[in-house]
Amino acid sequence: MRTSTRAAVAVVAALAVLGPIGWFWFDSLVTGTYDMAAMGYPDYGGGPATDHDHRTGIAVADLKGPSGTPDVAVTLTAGKAGSRYTLNGASPGPEIRAVQGQLIQVTLVNESVPDGVTLHWHGVDVPNAEDGVAGVTQDAVGRGQSHVYRFVAKDAGTYWYHSHQVSHEQVKNGLFGALIITPRGATRSDQVAMVHTYQGKRTVNGVPGISDISSSAIKVVNTDAGPIRIWVSGTTFRVTAIDGRDVHEPGVIKDQAVLVTAGGRVDLRLDGPGPARVDVGGGAALTAAGAVQAALPRDTLDFLSYGKSGFLGFDPDRPRRRFSYDIGRRFGFLDGRPGLWWTINGHLFPDVPMFMVTTGDVVRMTVHNGSGEVHPMHLHGHHVVVLSRNGTAATGSPWWTDSLDVADGDTYEIAFRADNPGIWADHCHNLDHVPEGLVAHLAYTGVRSSFQVGGPSGNTPE
Amino acid sequence: MRSVYRALSGLILIGFVVQIAAIAAAWFQVLNDVDDGGVFDNNTRNWAHIVHAVVGAEVIPLLALALLVVSFFARIPGGVKWAALTFGAVVLQVVLAFAGYSVPGVGALHGLNALVVAGLASVAMRKAREADAKPAPPVAVA
Ligand SMILES: [Cu+2]
Repeated sequence: MRTSTRAAVAVVAALAVLGPIGWFWFDSLVTGTYDMAAMGYPDYGGGPATDHDHRTGIAVADLKGPSGTPDVAVTLTAGKAGSRYTLNGASPGPEIRAVQGQLIQVTLVNESVPDGVTLHWHGVDVPNAEDGVAGVTQDAVGRGQSHVYRFVAKDAGTYWYHSHQVSHEQVKNGLFGALIITPRGATRSDQVAMVHTYQGKRTVNGVPGISDISSSAIKVVNTDAGPIRIWVSGTTFRVTAIDGRDVHEPGVIKDQAVLVTAGGRVDLRLDGPGPARVDVGGGAALTAAGAVQAALPRDTLDFLSYGKSGFLGFDPDRPRRRFSYDIGRRFGFLDGRPGLWWTINGHLFPDVPMFMVTTGDVVRMTVHNGSGEVHPMHLHGHHVVVLSRNGTAATGSPWWTDSLDVADGDTYEIAFRADNPGIWADHCHNLDHVPEGLVAHLAYTGVRSSFQVGGPSGNTPE
Repeated sequence: MRSVYRALSGLILIGFVVQIAAIAAAWFQVLNDVDDGGVFDNNTRNWAHIVHAVVGAEVIPLLALALLVVSFFARIPGGVKWAALTFGAVVLQVVLAFAGYSVPGVGALHGLNALVVAGLASVAMRKAREADAKPAPPVAVA
């Protein structure tokens, strides 16, 4: 072959290899500032194809909580020192308590967090503008600025709050706290156990190792990125609530661990009377004097068949829309970066579905995980009920959840009622997975965006 | 181009050495951290895990891709073939790494395939050296 021919063949071969790679790279680039609601493609779930124009209708920013004199008013001042984040100088931040029906007002002040902060009320189905997602429901609160959140403590339960700006970094390094809504007239005392791993050390309420147990009602909050297994020594116990929703007629548990997924909460009631200990792994525990630690039970409680079945309040068998949220993983470019990224229904972010609903819809969703790793899936603004796992129907108490542990290979059927208009994130609560593409949104017809990701506030929800 | 080919295949070999050292260090580091009361959970990654991830998922695939592209111009007998095989083995290596998350047993194949990558890269390096030793033969691109 002549030299010139040979060179031409080499160039063609090189282009054949590099050309497609370059095209995929270019195609993946995302502009610095964008409207989250305009990303991806609308998915109507087989229901009526409603208007997908995000420029008309009611604005997200107008979907605010009520005005009036707050019953509970708290100021939270966010700070950053080194890599640690604090609220009012501490991590976890202050425990906020309210009685069901009270109006809560939280003033967030950013004293020294360079990237800006927000507060998301994890598990509380607040009005959309109070949801605290930077670039979707508000602008990030810059240094020296403040933002007021107002919402009614509608449902009693165990919740938590955390930043939703650069959240994979800010939550890991301390920007969170507990939010407890107690039923009216409740007299029972309880003890909150915020479980968090700081720099590789697992803690309960910021304390590594063992702390004193002070109540037989323990509210466990997993603020970490991965699921934890907790277990009780010295007594039998019950799980009285999951993700802020009571379990209907919970049974006695013995020799079983309880899985609390990332972002999830579980309320325990210890039967006593002996000295008890609650272990959360990594040597961290709440314990009474004289309690003897048992080994981690091999068996784990299955919420699917726990408690007695009860009334759902809607009929999930006649849904208006059926969505699929299929999590995978593949090689590709995400905003120009090559790597193995999470996919939703086979697509990489931002080419992901926008689940479109109308107020009042009954919605069913099939969540499948074929990605190789567990994903704690968290839908903002709604509680979903689990109907089945891998084809096995739920037979226990209605399992209402906002943070669902979807293990590799698992398929869940879930349902919910679309009763909270807005634009809501539906993402993995292993927050490191969000910048890797594991976030979609649920959007209501007739709601238009008010904020943009990026922009002058540097909104970075993930 | 021949020296670039040789250098790239040599760098892949060095990458292989870094990888086996890093992954061993990573897990000894985990044992040490857990001994100190640390927890090993979903997102635990120490410095050596990060080295293994960056070198394995980014550096070596880029080197293998560059080797393949350079092979088209290097005019080394069998050069394209060995570069393509090396590249294929590297792709398989990344696939096996992530398949191992679902099926941990696949991790054993990841370990074994690492030897295949190293073997192919060293053959590629030898081909470049042999081509250098001989006067440039009139070979076609193949
Ligand atoms: Cu995830």
